[in-house]
Amino acid sequence: MARVLDTPTPSTPPPPARSLRQTPWVRWGAPLLLVAALAVLPLVGTESFNDTLARIGVFAVAVLGLNVVMGYTGQVSLGQIFFLGLGAYVTAYGVQQGWNVVLVFVLACLLPAVAGLLVALAAARLGGLAIAMVTIALPIVGVPLAKRLSEFTGGSQGLSARFTDAPEGSGLYDDQFQLYLVLGIGGVVFLLTACLVRGKYGRAFAIVKDNENVASSMGISPYRYKVLAFTIASLIGGVSGFLYMVVVQYTSPETMSFGHSIELLVAMVIGGAGSIAGSLLGGVFYVVVPDLTNAVDPSLTSLLQGALLLLVLFLLPGGLVSLPRALARRLRRSPAGRGSAAPPTPPSSTPGSATAAERPQTERQGHA
Amino acid sequence: MEKFVQLVVDGLSTGSVYAALALAIVLVHSATGLINFAQGGLAVLAAYVAWVLTNQGLPVGLAIVAAILVSFVLGAVVERYLIRRFERGDPDTAVVVTIGLLTLVTGVAGWIWGYNNQQFPSLFPLDTVSLLGVSVSIRSLGTTAVIVVAMVLLQVLFVRTKIGLALRAVAINPQSAAFSGLPVGRLLMVGWGLAAALGAVAGTLVAPQLTLTPGMLDNALVYALAAVILGGLTSPVGVVVAAWIIGVLENLAAVYVGFIGFDLKVAVPFILIFVVLLVRPQGLFGRKTVVRV
Amino acid sequence: MTLLELEGVTAAYGPVQVLEDVSLTVPDGGAVGILGANGAGKTTTLRAISGTVRAGGRIVFDGRDVRGLRPDQVAALGIAHVPEGRGTLGDLTVRENLRVGAYLRKDAKGVERDIDYCLDLFPNLQARIRSNASALSGGEQQMLAVGRAIMSKPRLMLLDEASLGLAPSTAKTVYDAIRRLRVESGIAMLVVEQNANLAFTLVDTAAVLETGRTVLTGTSAELKGMDEIRRAYLGG
Repeated sequence: MARVLDTPTPSTPPPPARSLRQTPWVRWGAPLLLVAALAVLPLVGTESFNDTLARIGVFAVAVLGLNVVMGYTGQVSLGQIFFLGLGAYVTAYGVQQGWNVVLVFVLACLLPAVAGLLVALAAARLGGLAIAMVTIALPIVGVPLAKRLSEFTGGSQGLSARFTDAPEGSGLYDDQFQLYLVLGIGGVVFLLTACLVRGKYGRAFAIVKDNENVASSMGISPYRYKVLAFTIASLIGGVSGFLYMVVVQYTSPETMSFGHSIELLVAMVIGGAGSIAGSLLGGVFYVVVPDLTNAVDPSLTSLLQGALLLLVLFLLPGGLVSLPRALARRLRRSPAGRGSAAPPTPPSSTPGSATAAERPQTERQGHA
Repeated sequence: MEKFVQLVVDGLSTGSVYAALALAIVLVHSATGLINFAQGGLAVLAAYVAWVLTNQGLPVGLAIVAAILVSFVLGAVVERYLIRRFERGDPDTAVVVTIGLLTLVTGVAGWIWGYNNQQFPSLFPLDTVSLLGVSVSIRSLGTTAVIVVAMVLLQVLFVRTKIGLALRAVAINPQSAAFSGLPVGRLLMVGWGLAAALGAVAGTLVAPQLTLTPGMLDNALVYALAAVILGGLTSPVGVVVAAWIIGVLENLAAVYVGFIGFDLKVAVPFILIFVVLLVRPQGLFGRKTVVRV
Repeated sequence: MTLLELEGVTAAYGPVQVLEDVSLTVPDGGAVGILGANGAGKTTTLRAISGTVRAGGRIVFDGRDVRGLRPDQVAALGIAHVPEGRGTLGDLTVRENLRVGAYLRKDAKGVERDIDYCLDLFPNLQARIRSNASALSGGEQQMLAVGRAIMSKPRLMLLDEASLGLAPSTAKTVYDAIRRLRVESGIAMLVVEQNANLAFTLVDTAAVLETGRTVLTGTSAELKGMDEIRRAYLGG
């Protein structure tokens, strides 16, 4: 069973790293150190740094949710941003109505989860790529819907809600308090998701992703697990929507636009599909890259994202998170490769470059 | 009554545009087994090419033909240098590749031509003609007619010509087709080229109505995908009929169903999908297990 | 004159070495069988020739090394591969399947004549000419697969397990037709066949493979006379 989980995400570290990771004080010390660093970080950062960090946290959670359904369960979803938007609207509305913040948080999780469940119940029946084809409608329908339901959403104007000013007497600035909230809630979500994907359900997700027929033969209903994964992804999307309001304090139909939905998917793949750390990197990518390109030329953002996504798919299919491993492999291979030019299997001694160029062709046909 | 007929004709016209995009998606799927989310994006690029050419003083008709040719080449190049590497691999990865292509293509259009709406000249006069006693717009009739002709030509190509036969053979079993000497790779390029050309027809015909922006066909893509789901991936006829049904229904719903209105009519095909899914999971016309297993 | 020569051919699927050292020759117009147990590399040998599997060693067809060519390029040289499992194009009609076989030919009249020849060779197909290939019986599909190969006017036909899954009488009908084809067309044949008795009705010589190596070659008569061949392949 444990092996199955390993297959989709080759999470085994390279040998040298393993020996380091097995040292007890590193195993326990490193996470503690990380927690300590995160606890201190908000206090030392500048306001804009904290703000950027908080936004990264928000979208890392959103990417994490997408990863549950797409990276771990293999169902392409183009609608994740809709659940972030829904969570943000629920939060904004609840706060405006003066509801208890805890209740607002619970609703911001539950409503997107229920919406996700309903969508998945229908979409997962089609199987395969149909989920992608249906979920693409969520942002496209969501934006005009949000405009239409103006009594709840404020229409095109959007809603703002300030509920995350630092409490009196805490001695914190607002941005520090908000970052703590994001780190706290986001941290818990990451922890829970990490447990989920490493546990029983995660293994079932991996099997469904790998081969639905095999899953069925093992008594794992692909339909049920796809619906489950999609619902969890929507719930996590709702959490990210709540966090979005914590940090940005304003939402409008634009929040859940089609473009943002695509960007979220791009961020997930570039960060690393099926990887917890990859979700974090995805959040960084989602926030930092537009900031950078906007500084140069805002009209370049989409072009760069598309180009980067294709580049990553070509060169680094595992995403940024697999970069260290890929580099290590390359470093290990190149001296050996130079020593003995002969490939390990004799049959590949066909005339060099021409055959190499034909290879995808041959493989493609071989699988047909 | 007059309003109703005009709505139906307009619906058939936009439905034809969805149908062309949907057919392009079906074409690519049958050749290479993946859903091309960039089909609309490529069509937008074609519309920009035609727009640039009309600005250079070329007549609209010629500009559109040129854009179709450019699209054919572009589609073939995309298949060869981008998609081939991911064909017959994990279909989800291949889909993400097409999403990357969509982002890239949209980005290229936005970078070169900006994100502002551009006026695209119409191929047809904006007058109306009297049809069975009610006046309908020439543009709607013309758009429908051109796309129907394009689809008929495509059908003739597939059924009557040698290359059409070869394209079908490769779609069914590429390895076996190669044993008869069919150049599989080149035929796949032709398949993608034809799909892109068909998309270009749709893009250039609908551009005057929607006005030209990089995201012009995002909604149309969604409609086309809905038509593909409803019609079934294996049924070109089903897809076209589904697209027309969607086009007409959304137009009628926009006017006659108060809550939907013009802004929410994009929800119509998906309400339809949810209803159909409950009754006929294999699509309206498709066989069982139409979508990739 | 030698039409096809394999010398020290190797091939692997990923890390699994399937062919270690296969050598055989097919004379122009000759028919050669490949015998061997399951997994000995018979099918892989044919796939190496037709370019579906990458191979090492030497594969020379008509004086030219065909290794590294794509399957469609190999086909264009005049090698028609009738694969295991037939590879008929299910959604195309019988006639369309035959026309696909003639894809590389430019002589429309000759193509029509050869379609008629195929229908004469396999009368069962005549009645099904408008049916989709997927609607045919196993035997008819095998006939169609051979017919499609004929349509390309090959100089060499690679036949893989043409009797697989067929009733004995149907298998005999197929082999009778192939024998007639051989006599009338002079197409050289390289035949992989589980049923060695059936194979020996067609081939002049045969090569015996064991775990990816040619261990024995000889004429049909010589091989049939050997005890170990009789025991292993001819059922006593």
